[in-house]
Amino acid sequence: MEPLRTHSPCINLCRMDDEDRYCLGCRRTLDEIAIWSELSDLEKDALWQALDLRRQAS
Amino acid sequence: MKSPTDIRFIERGWLSANNIFIFNEDELHIVDTSYDSHRSQTLSLVQQHLKRHPRSQLKSIINTHLHSDHCGGNATLQSAFPHIKTYIPQASCEAVKNWDETQLSFIPTGQACSRFQFNEALQVGQQLTLADRTWDILGAPGHDPDSVILYCAQDGLLISADALWQNGFGTIFPELIGESGFDEVSQTLDLIESLDVQLVLPGHGPAFTDVTRALQIARSRLDYLAQDPKRNAKHAAKVLLKFRLLDWQAIQLDDAHKWIANTPLFNSIAKILGMSLDEIKKWAPHALVETGGARLSGDQLINQN
Repeated sequence: MEPLRTHSPCINLCRMDDEDRYCLGCRRTLDEIAIWSELSDLEKDALWQALDLRRQAS
Repeated sequence: MKSPTDIRFIERGWLSANNIFIFNEDELHIVDTSYDSHRSQTLSLVQQHLKRHPRSQLKSIINTHLHSDHCGGNATLQSAFPHIKTYIPQASCEAVKNWDETQLSFIPTGQACSRFQFNEALQVGQQLTLADRTWDILGAPGHDPDSVILYCAQDGLLISADALWQNGFGTIFPELIGESGFDEVSQTLDLIESLDVQLVLPGHGPAFTDVTRALQIARSRLDYLAQDPKRNAKHAAKVLLKFRLLDWQAIQLDDAHKWIANTPLFNSIAKILGMSLDEIKKWAPHALVETGGARLSGDQLINQN
């Protein structure tokens, strides 16, 4: 099993897309950036998986 | 221990310091506002919070210290919310009043920060009430001689700025210009140890609860650096270049050389290392590549995470 990804997805390219929907760097929404440190390890890993999908879709 | 529900700790990256929102239903206060080039996201994060708390208003900005990654969003927030109060460390007030970019470190470090105003001084030894919490303002010299940290005794919360991170602390800048910094870092770590801290909200990296471990790491790092000031100088050179590279992402090696040669702090660093300016401008990019912070592709220096 892969270890859980719990480190911050921020890659220092902190700018929202034109619709203010996703960060162009980490692909998180504003709410997801704001609550990151309140997520459990499982929730962080789940969000990482969602970000992978968003990256593929863009 | 998790962050209390009246505090939102927004972990940003290394170019942008973390933002700490302290709030209730009526008020929002933001501690540190991140880097200039990330200002619109910082503003969006504030606006999003206000949207989620419709009665709430942004009341103040509090800066732990005035490095560009901690106050770069000040000007944008001040213009979006003209009524807010901005608190800065007492020791930095004169430099902000005169917008002395050398004293404020923006020129020496080759970093950018839009001009902002302040309303109130943070006085070491006094207290500051933000929303429903009262904080002790403590002096935390070392990384920056003017820096303050904020301690809320009620729940053992420490906003530690760059004085203590989970795995270290910020570059000791005073030592680079012939001033004392190692002793101050040590005293600041002693001060933190004397407090009953349950949760640290640092300027960079994740929040953490194991203060004893963090202090051990920080002290061993400090010993390593203080044993040979060249270590601190080499580290500072790489940090300064990496910081700019995070903003550029990629740059022609020639332009990186020019930036190093024109950034005054590299002159001081070169002297400590016994290098010429010509030598350090070539050395620094390679040193960063060696530690994995960047890679070379042809004549381009590219950021590597």
